Amino acid sequence: MKTSKKLGLALFLLAVFVLVPVMIAATGRKDLYYTLTSVALLSIGSAGVWLTFYIGRINIGQGAYALMGGYVSAILMTQAGFSFWATLPLGGLFCALISVGIGVPILRLRGVYFAMVTLVLTEVARLTALALPVTNGAKGITSIPLPGALSIGGVTLIPDFATMANPKLAFYLLAVTMMVASYAVLWRIVNSRLGHLCRSLQQNEELAASIGVNTAYLRVLVYAISSFFGGISGVVFVAISQSIYPSSFVVTDSVNFMLYCFVGGLSYVAGPMVGTLLLYFGWDLLTVAKDYQMLIYSSAMIALMLVLPNGVLSLLDRIGGKK
Amino acid sequence: MEQIIANGLYLGAQYALIALGLTLIFSLMNVLNFAHGQMFVFGGFVTYTVVAKAGLPFVVGLLASAVILAAMGAVAEVFLFRPVIKRSKRDESTMLLAAGVAFFLDAVILLVFGEKQRGVPKILNGVFNWDMRIIMPYDRILIGFLAVALIVAFIAFMQYSRTGRAMRALAQDRMAAQLMGVDVDRYSMIGFALGAMLAGLVGGLLVAVTGINLGMGGPTSVKAFMMIMIGGAGVISGAIAGGFILGMMESVGLTLLSAYGDITYLVIFASLMVFLAFRPQGLMGKPWG
Amino acid sequence: MTAILQVKGITKRYGGLTAVNAVSFDVQKGEILSVIGPNGAGKSTLFKLISSFVPTSGGEVLFNGTRISDLAPHKVARMGVVRTFQETTIFKSMTVRENIIVAHHLRSKSSLFGFFIGSSQARADEAEFGASADEIVDFLGLQAIRHELASNLPQGHLRALGMAIGLATKPTILLLDEPFAGMNHDETMTMVANVRRLRDERGLTVLLVEHDMPAVMKISDRIVVINFGEKIAEGTPAQIQANPKVIEAYLGSEDAAIGL
Repeated sequence: MKTSKKLGLALFLLAVFVLVPVMIAATGRKDLYYTLTSVALLSIGSAGVWLTFYIGRINIGQGAYALMGGYVSAILMTQAGFSFWATLPLGGLFCALISVGIGVPILRLRGVYFAMVTLVLTEVARLTALALPVTNGAKGITSIPLPGALSIGGVTLIPDFATMANPKLAFYLLAVTMMVASYAVLWRIVNSRLGHLCRSLQQNEELAASIGVNTAYLRVLVYAISSFFGGISGVVFVAISQSIYPSSFVVTDSVNFMLYCFVGGLSYVAGPMVGTLLLYFGWDLLTVAKDYQMLIYSSAMIALMLVLPNGVLSLLDRIGGKK
Repeated sequence: MEQIIANGLYLGAQYALIALGLTLIFSLMNVLNFAHGQMFVFGGFVTYTVVAKAGLPFVVGLLASAVILAAMGAVAEVFLFRPVIKRSKRDESTMLLAAGVAFFLDAVILLVFGEKQRGVPKILNGVFNWDMRIIMPYDRILIGFLAVALIVAFIAFMQYSRTGRAMRALAQDRMAAQLMGVDVDRYSMIGFALGAMLAGLVGGLLVAVTGINLGMGGPTSVKAFMMIMIGGAGVISGAIAGGFILGMMESVGLTLLSAYGDITYLVIFASLMVFLAFRPQGLMGKPWG
Repeated sequence: MTAILQVKGITKRYGGLTAVNAVSFDVQKGEILSVIGPNGAGKSTLFKLISSFVPTSGGEVLFNGTRISDLAPHKVARMGVVRTFQETTIFKSMTVRENIIVAHHLRSKSSLFGFFIGSSQARADEAEFGASADEIVDFLGLQAIRHELASNLPQGHLRALGMAIGLATKPTILLLDEPFAGMNHDETMTMVANVRRLRDERGLTVLLVEHDMPAVMKISDRIVVINFGEKIAEGTPAQIQANPKVIEAYLGSEDAAIGL
């Protein structure tokens, strides 16, 4: 079992870092880079949402943090001359910080109450971006420079994106590296004591408190990590499109983040990644259906819900015979 | 001042009606109906089609909206929500389903009605003007009164009819209601139909005043969620209170805060957060719903 | 003997209703003290007050002289005052052993970040928790169901698991909420023996709130009786059985024949 898992992981990394770029170069389908980069970035956001599910909270506010992270990066780069590489962690940290302030009151809510507040949060983030002077209202922030060179101690680790022959490939590699790192963190959280405590919180908050778990602190900590993920995915999205508007991430995006988790499966670490890939790619493939794209997409989603209510990855359990 | 109150009441009456439908569905089945906003938009387009396209009277349009949306709600409950609720392990599964239905309705609206803003010809002309203190077009006043009448009718129905009483029993304690012989499946269906019908009716009312478009679905759901959070989810009085409070806050905000740009909703949300920190169950809700 | 836990005039009002009215008593170190009373006497509320799961309306509870009333529940647990639950409150989707291991939280020396990166301290902690969990499993005789999913357990085992979770925190005083409820005679006797061994072999102080009279008479060093939210008697089992006020309270209630 252990070796098969290692093998699977090695195959996955090989596919993501080598096979995909080779295949794209061979077929000339460069447009796939954008799709796959988006999938990678969105799965980082969904990883965060999945983590909040893991403490028993339905998070439909990830779009707010993606937007926030994007704006922080855009503002720092265009108005304070920061490098993209500095804004990447800063955008995430800013979101984590804000989420602590928001999380302290709202994480006391459970079930649909929490879900509703987070949904409203997305709308509020959009309205804030419209209203604040620093975000430049509806006009948004445009002509954001591409990521510059990243060098440490005179050694250039990553060259300036603007000088690259194929910045699309560079963005793709950046996004999947971040995705792999995020899921490594997620996997580690779930399989360490922190994850066990999260599960205890998900299953019974009162009992968790009675064994001495500081439930309020743990909830906020997890929500902050989740929001960090949302923030960094937003930062890279903005770097790719070189622009951000208040409507760059809206309620639909927040709902989508949640759906990716559901579709993949809430009890599997890889669930949000698989869900994002399926739904985003599915949506992309369905563009051929033109006007009927949305209709087919939503029908497929409803059908999926009826057939596999515990997520696509629950198929693996069925095959594996674990009921 | 009087103008702000009048605007607030006009908005509040419509909002309360939307929130009532949402809270009814929530209280009966513990389903957060994401598609509520889309149902509202759909209802608006039905009235638009009947009145503007077929040239029939406005009342016929409203009736058509009510009937079609009620049927839609019943179908969604019987064929989608009921089986999923019975089979899935987690409550949240119904959220995915509701979101799927919301997307589906958006798609249908786009295909059938298109994405343009639609409205019907004015149903009443003229403007009410009380000494420049309250200025309000007559059609708005009529729509406001219709909304209030519908709220009153709904309360009376829930209070005095057999069906309404059964639904209230069901909302209060599902198990007990079942033991008392209430047919849970039947009343869940009726409740869902009724909730959808209310959403459709508000859509029909609004199309006569400001018109309606495809993009209004999501934001309407968000507003409805806010209302039932203010009032307390699953409580009829809470939905009405939440609707009027939000309507009033919007009216006040748009007047007083307009100088600072569009920050009304920001202020409303911030106050909501503070409020929920002290009273998580809303004004009239049960603790932890 | 010294009083380890002091309940001083504790009061709880819900609206106009007084559920618990100025109840006072001491729990001595190393004793098993039971709180009994007819249905609706306020036992459950009193229990939640002592374990600090509800805020007080008046009075206070002192543990080793320090006030624990109105503290967050996890802080009270951290001080060594740990409760079990009346209902079948366990972590349902974990196995018995996982339940007990996770409950060792208070004993971790490593930080959460240490656990995240798998520091040597964290690994030492995990090894210790595993060993300790196995020891608790053995102590309570749960070997056969060690790897069973908690949601599949029958009632009697659930109660034992609840106690195991409490033990994992290494409490100084364990508060048991109706530990015998819903048990048959044999299960009750096993539980009585286990509670006695907690005190005899592990030096724990035990406070329990209970309904089952014969078990309480058998297990307790001292008993506090409450009725209508007020303390009406306190003493050894023999004293309580002979107390006319207690008999009256129980005869006046609906469930009269509970073993007096």
